[in-house]
Amino acid sequence: MTVLTDQRWLVLHALRCIGFANLARIATATGLDAADVESELIDLAVAGLVRHEAGDFGGWGLTGAGRNADTTRTADELRTTGTRAAVTEAYDRFLPLNTELLDLCTAWQTRLVDGIVTVNDHHDPGYDARVLDLFVTFDRRAEVVCTALSTVLPRYGRYRVRLADALARVTAGEREYLTDHLEAYHTVWFQLHEDLLATLGIPR
Amino acid sequence: MSWIRPLSTEVDEPADVLGAKAAGLVLLRRLGLPVPPGFVVTTSAYRAFRQAGRLPDGLDGELATAIADLERTTGRTFGGPGRPLVVSVRSGGEVSMPGMMSTVLNVGLTTGATAGLAAETGDPRFALDSRLSLLTSFAAAIAEQGGPPLPDEAVGQLRLAVTAVLDSWDTPRARTYRQLHDIPDDLGTAVVVQAMVFGNRDPDSGTGVAFSRDPDTGEPVPFGEVLFGRQGDEVVSGRSLTRPLADLAERLPAVWAALRQAMERIERHYRDACYLEFTVEAGQLWLLQVRPARFVGAAAVRLAVDLADQGVIGRDEALLRISPRQLRQPRTPRLAVVDEADVLARGRGAGPGVAVGRVATTADQAARMAATGPVILVRPETSPLDLHGLAAAVGVVTARGGPASHAAVVARALGKAAVVGVADLVVADDTIRVGGRTIADGTVIAVDGTAGIVVLGDPPVTGTGADPHLRQLLDWADDVSGDSSDRPGDVRLEAAHAALARHRDPPPGPA
Repeated sequence: MTVLTDQRWLVLHALRCIGFANLARIATATGLDAADVESELIDLAVAGLVRHEAGDFGGWGLTGAGRNADTTRTADELRTTGTRAAVTEAYDRFLPLNTELLDLCTAWQTRLVDGIVTVNDHHDPGYDARVLDLFVTFDRRAEVVCTALSTVLPRYGRYRVRLADALARVTAGEREYLTDHLEAYHTVWFQLHEDLLATLGIPR
Repeated sequence: MSWIRPLSTEVDEPADVLGAKAAGLVLLRRLGLPVPPGFVVTTSAYRAFRQAGRLPDGLDGELATAIADLERTTGRTFGGPGRPLVVSVRSGGEVSMPGMMSTVLNVGLTTGATAGLAAETGDPRFALDSRLSLLTSFAAAIAEQGGPPLPDEAVGQLRLAVTAVLDSWDTPRARTYRQLHDIPDDLGTAVVVQAMVFGNRDPDSGTGVAFSRDPDTGEPVPFGEVLFGRQGDEVVSGRSLTRPLADLAERLPAVWAALRQAMERIERHYRDACYLEFTVEAGQLWLLQVRPARFVGAAAVRLAVDLADQGVIGRDEALLRISPRQLRQPRTPRLAVVDEADVLARGRGAGPGVAVGRVATTADQAARMAATGPVILVRPETSPLDLHGLAAAVGVVTARGGPASHAAVVARALGKAAVVGVADLVVADDTIRVGGRTIADGTVIAVDGTAGIVVLGDPPVTGTGADPHLRQLLDWADDVSGDSSDRPGDVRLEAAHAALARHRDPPPGPA
């Protein structure tokens, strides 16, 4: 049985929350150096907790054993730090924000034209600017919950950094960082949602 | 100042006072159609509420009077004892904001009234089910505001429900919706209070939504969904398993006939197709909401041509109802109208387009199978762990989630056809079960992410090719413009609009 050091678990848990990914994405998710991530992945693979799939849609991913090891470790984390109540409270505040964010993403991707939902062709700068403004004010409220979470469990601090990065890119004109990129605001938020469910042991 | 109007045929105030829902209900009553009795708290009450931060002075007294009237009309008592009066409390502004605001059902079902309802109907399970639905819809309405618990006293329940509905105008979601859709923030909502009709009363009860014609094609066949033995907003919310509207014809033929008659009458009044929400209680049809259907695209063209052929509108008006801009919009591919028997599953369209591929029930399986041809990923729900499978697939089907869910957002981001919220879908190892059928991994299915349907096999796709109704409309356009040369459709229609504008004084705008 391999020893799950904090750093090794961080890599394992990142895969639990982001799904199949290459080295660069895992490094971004964990905030670790790519070389360190690779070294941890190799040890995790030797222990049978992760595997590498070749092919167009491949990458590093958890094995069944890896998923179980992560479940045990997240439960331990809540127990030893005594943070279940605080994380649960943050999750309760996260949920209405989640609904709002999904509304905003939907508004960015689709529009009601003559009463029917159609793909937003982004030819109406006024509309897009309104949605972006709403994202910015949303992000301020989201930040409060993210900060509360990382105060309880510091590893959650990574989400705040990544969400802020995504929004900064969007406001700088890289619009794909709202919903369409692997580091887009919605993608990171979706992983945060998965992390909260995994941390609290709530099934989807 | 008077805050309340009865839902009666004499009321003659515009939708900015009554709200669109109440104005529609008044119209239905004028047309002699069945509407549960009730009253509406006007939007001016909302404005007073917002200013003062509490229910306006005098509203309590008016609520008491309106409830007393309702007790007389129904022969029931609010809060019991004996036959209890139970009411629904629903939002209804001038502009509809679907799914954004609160509804509280079964208001007045105190523990005493619940016992009364059980005794009256001889069905304690039904009474408890209704009480439970009050508790859940109240909790959902109040949760947003962190308000007080539900009192066990009918008038107190009504006050809280009205307050919750008024408050729901100002939730962050509703505010966002208004900003996105250019709806003024100060319009406010009216509150519609009606005697409950119970879709959960017995097997001959239910609730549904209906278009008088198919909103996808314009075909003159009623279209919609019905949920038997259930109540209220469960159809709209997509939480439960609905049946195609046509099932009504088989299960409750008298209700079906009444519904078709109502649709005919409403269409004649609107001179347009209509959208209805209805409840059936013990075999009796009740209409709860109506509005013109506002078709677009191919459905709008077919509707305009059919209405002109029926003599409901003139050909000129048919031409004016279609904007040239609409004809310029590229048409999203759709599955050609299929036999209901071929439809494997219905859900909500969440990523427009059509995709055909083999069923894969896990993301890993999808990623593997994609090497040898197109794949449709079928999952209970998607998590980030499914993303590599979604990236590999051409389309996705999920049992849970709505058009604004993670799955839908990701599917649209990746440009995949998506149907979400297929309520009866069960994903097992290597098979899916849906619509009473078991489908193995690898079976070819087609997904229409606009209509929200899943079909077995590889059926024909529309979206290109000739549309006989469009051809008809454009022939009429050429008759009007006097130019039958070969030009694009939008140019032919534009010429007809210009000719009609020249011939009319004052010049009309497009409908």
